Amino acid sequence: MSTEPQAARLPVSQPPLTPEFALRERYRQESQRIQRDFEAAGSGLASLSSRTRLVDSLCLTLWEQNFRATAGCALIALGGFGRSELFPHSDVDLLLLTEDEAHRDLIKTAVARLCQTMWDCGLRASPTTRTLADCGRFDQNNLEFTLSLLDCRLLAGDQALFARLHAKTVPQLIARESAGLLQQLSELTQTRRQRFGNTIFHLEPNVKDGPGGLRDCHVTQWIGMIVALASGRKPDLVSVCQNSVHGEMLTAVEFLSSCRCYLHYRHGRDDNTVTWAAQEEMAARGVATGSGPVSPAEWMRLYFRHAKAIDRNRSQLLAQVSQERSSLYRSFQRWRSRVSNNEFSVVDGRVYFQQAADAREAFVVLRLFTFIARHGFSLSPGAERRVNDAHVRLAETMPQDQYLWPHLRELLTQPHAADALRAMHSLNLLTRAIPEFETIDLLVLRDLYHRYTVDEHTFMAIDALHRLKLEKEAALQPFAELMSELEHPELLFLALLLHDTGKGLEGADHIHGSLQLATAAVQRMQLSQEDAATVCFLVANHLQISSTLRRRDIYDSATIRELAAKVGTPERLKMLTLLTLADIKAVNPEALTPWKAENLWRLYTRTAGYFDRSADSERLDADISTAAIEKIIAMLPAHRSGLLSFLDGLPQRYVLSHAPEEVAEHFLMASHLAAEPGSTGAPSGTPGCQPVQLSLRAVSGQQELTVVTADRAGLFRTIAGTLYAWGMDISKAAAFSNRAGVIVDVFCFKDRFRTLELNPPERERFKRSVREILMREAPLEPLLESRLKADHKPFKLTVETRLRFDEECSPRSTLLEVVTQDRPGLLHTISSALTEHDCSIEVALIDTEGPVAHDVFYITCGGKKLGPETMRAIEWALTAELADTLPCTW
Amino acid sequence: MTKLETVIQPAKFDAVKDALIEIGVEGMTVTEVRGHGRQKGHTEFYRGREYTVDLLPKVKIEMVLPDQIVDRAIQAITTAARTGKIGDGKIFLARIDEAIRIRNDDRGENAL
Repeated sequence: MSTEPQAARLPVSQPPLTPEFALRERYRQESQRIQRDFEAAGSGLASLSSRTRLVDSLCLTLWEQNFRATAGCALIALGGFGRSELFPHSDVDLLLLTEDEAHRDLIKTAVARLCQTMWDCGLRASPTTRTLADCGRFDQNNLEFTLSLLDCRLLAGDQALFARLHAKTVPQLIARESAGLLQQLSELTQTRRQRFGNTIFHLEPNVKDGPGGLRDCHVTQWIGMIVALASGRKPDLVSVCQNSVHGEMLTAVEFLSSCRCYLHYRHGRDDNTVTWAAQEEMAARGVATGSGPVSPAEWMRLYFRHAKAIDRNRSQLLAQVSQERSSLYRSFQRWRSRVSNNEFSVVDGRVYFQQAADAREAFVVLRLFTFIARHGFSLSPGAERRVNDAHVRLAETMPQDQYLWPHLRELLTQPHAADALRAMHSLNLLTRAIPEFETIDLLVLRDLYHRYTVDEHTFMAIDALHRLKLEKEAALQPFAELMSELEHPELLFLALLLHDTGKGLEGADHIHGSLQLATAAVQRMQLSQEDAATVCFLVANHLQISSTLRRRDIYDSATIRELAAKVGTPERLKMLTLLTLADIKAVNPEALTPWKAENLWRLYTRTAGYFDRSADSERLDADISTAAIEKIIAMLPAHRSGLLSFLDGLPQRYVLSHAPEEVAEHFLMASHLAAEPGSTGAPSGTPGCQPVQLSLRAVSGQQELTVVTADRAGLFRTIAGTLYAWGMDISKAAAFSNRAGVIVDVFCFKDRFRTLELNPPERERFKRSVREILMREAPLEPLLESRLKADHKPFKLTVETRLRFDEECSPRSTLLEVVTQDRPGLLHTISSALTEHDCSIEVALIDTEGPVAHDVFYITCGGKKLGPETMRAIEWALTAELADTLPCTW
Repeated sequence: MTKLETVIQPAKFDAVKDALIEIGVEGMTVTEVRGHGRQKGHTEFYRGREYTVDLLPKVKIEMVLPDQIVDRAIQAITTAARTGKIGDGKIFLARIDEAIRIRNDDRGENAL
């Protein structure tokens, strides 16, 4: 605020037709000169300053012409005019301040004449007449006026009156109403930013009102002034910027001011939208670049960089104000909040380092971002400053290799991962950890479809998946369930993080570039071969489903068959479907319509159904080698013919759902069958003492038992029964057999009583028990009886049992699909019922999602499909066992 | 002037749009819709649950054309959208009395 009138009288050229005409003419000429200067030099701030001086002098001239007695009244500039930031077509906010009501009545006519002349000049004068007492009252419904007083500046008139306003009335008003003002200003800002989706990233941003725009900058200044006046300090601009970003803020304001100036001149009015055409012009002219013409995309990159600086400063200042307003007691209590730990503390939703020196340790900083990702807190200004100060050291020590992946994996799967990644990126640490991300830093895609920069699109896609469970849109709810079913969500999130990195590389095919970068990243982080393959598959195929939706008939079975062949496994289909959903949703707020979401879901369900229905019919042929088979053979080249014999007749699903290393291991197990006790040579399926090969390993917190042996009646039931008898809860299983009658059954199970985990010697005893029961050297029934006695409590059923037979999907088997409540011993119950009806399980696909068991069996009876009577009998038997309702047939 | 309202398979939209642009159609309004004609719907299963899909996804294209290119537009649409199966879609035609460009008050075919 300034107390001295600084304007010089506007020289009036001679001889004027009328004083008003001369004034208008002079204003017009001076305005044109300022515009020419701006077009030549491109400095927005210089132009604002010149315009302010010009309008100041105009006001002074008009004051002298129209106001005879100036005692008791003053002409004051408010708002942007008061800040000396008068843009070419901005409103000219004026306050006619009077001592009292009597003075107000006296100047009515003069005010009208002043405004009339200003309007005739082409200025949008916006006057208000108030008494000093009026200015000292806070009008809840007119926050804007009180805020504009913060920027008041004397133009002409009674200096003593202005001094009272400036030195006493306004400070007292602000000090008295600071809490309400800050609250209302915060709400007003929030409402304004919500109009722009609360993001700075817009295709055609608004340089004044949009997030990261000049209004945000004003808000930070006002907050700083209110806080300073409330605590009796003198406000200044520097105090409202973090010291570390003060220079950055000034540069940003210069850039945005030049941009807004250009827009005003270009549009001929107060239109602050950076349209596409304006972007191209400003880029070509090098407006505000400081380095001459640039490409439109590069100019927008500069724009977003400056908008980010303003946005971050606003956010940090609000945090600081919130912190200052907290009482010491409240701060102390929050400091000790429950989520605080020995590394980080939380105050008012902001995270601080417990030890300042920790900000220099890369792994502590990684844990800090994981902490943010888990709880959804923001980084405190102090913590941000410390990380910034330690940036050189952090940049040098930030892990990029196998030591990064455990941290990144944890971060990506936390509910606020996107916020943590944004915070990491804004501190230039994300690109230190994942250099591949550098290519898309603030990268603008100049098309009508993409709303956000590529890096922000990536964060929004990750956020879209994390927020699925909160979605109210009915069309999105099935996807939330799908998300909860993923075995390795971290791989999907990593694929999302890298899927568009290729857009920053030269060349038209961004998928190829993204794949190259993703491959480099997963190799550097030393992901397992299987995980790396999954991430690369997702990146390489991230447009596959979108393309199918756009170009193929999703109700055509050929479309589904081709998609299933490309995707390979149900798990990959789930991940690719979710990646597609997130990718579309993060393009712009309207991109994912319910129509698109429904079509995507239908494509998913049809393809998932195809995987279940085709497991028996699509089998491997020893005479037809595929790329997948050659990959397996490459691991054991000396066993080519043996491997081909082993694979002959196995469902294709088997090869697609197992890594080559696993298939090779199964083959070796099958090869060892001949050397096992009880072997009668090649597996022939003869009942009796058949050799068995077992493997037991811990996988992702569960146990996985693989059984390779000769097929025989009741085998699946026996394995399921043995596991149940040991107290194991089967979550997934798959049973396959080859043409020679060798079966490969894989069971994943939870160790309900942690028997194997807590007693390592029990692992061998467990394996021995399974082997003895399968080789009929020990009976299963006594073990089962003990377990059934222990599990005597009735199970509360919340999932309706559904059974479905399908005779069409396989040429030789009948498909039985069972959906029911999961419970201990369920698989044994179902397989026992099938065995009792003389059914043979050719293929089994067992899955559990939360409380729902989803089991698919391909069954034969006497080597043929099931007859109607057998189906009916099985339906009755299973319904009686699994539910308390009568059988239903769909 | 004639208004063409065309309902086609979503998978055929790109081909139809390209074919229309090829013959000089400059403007169209596109809507994602659901519906069925004689194709009706069908039943699907997922996780043992039955889903009746009675309204199938379609794309509706609306455009008003000068009479002299209507036949060519119809030819372009049918060629690009036809698979020969039920569900390929339909074209509806209606006479249009007047068109007005809001920006400059152009009338008739000049407004198209």
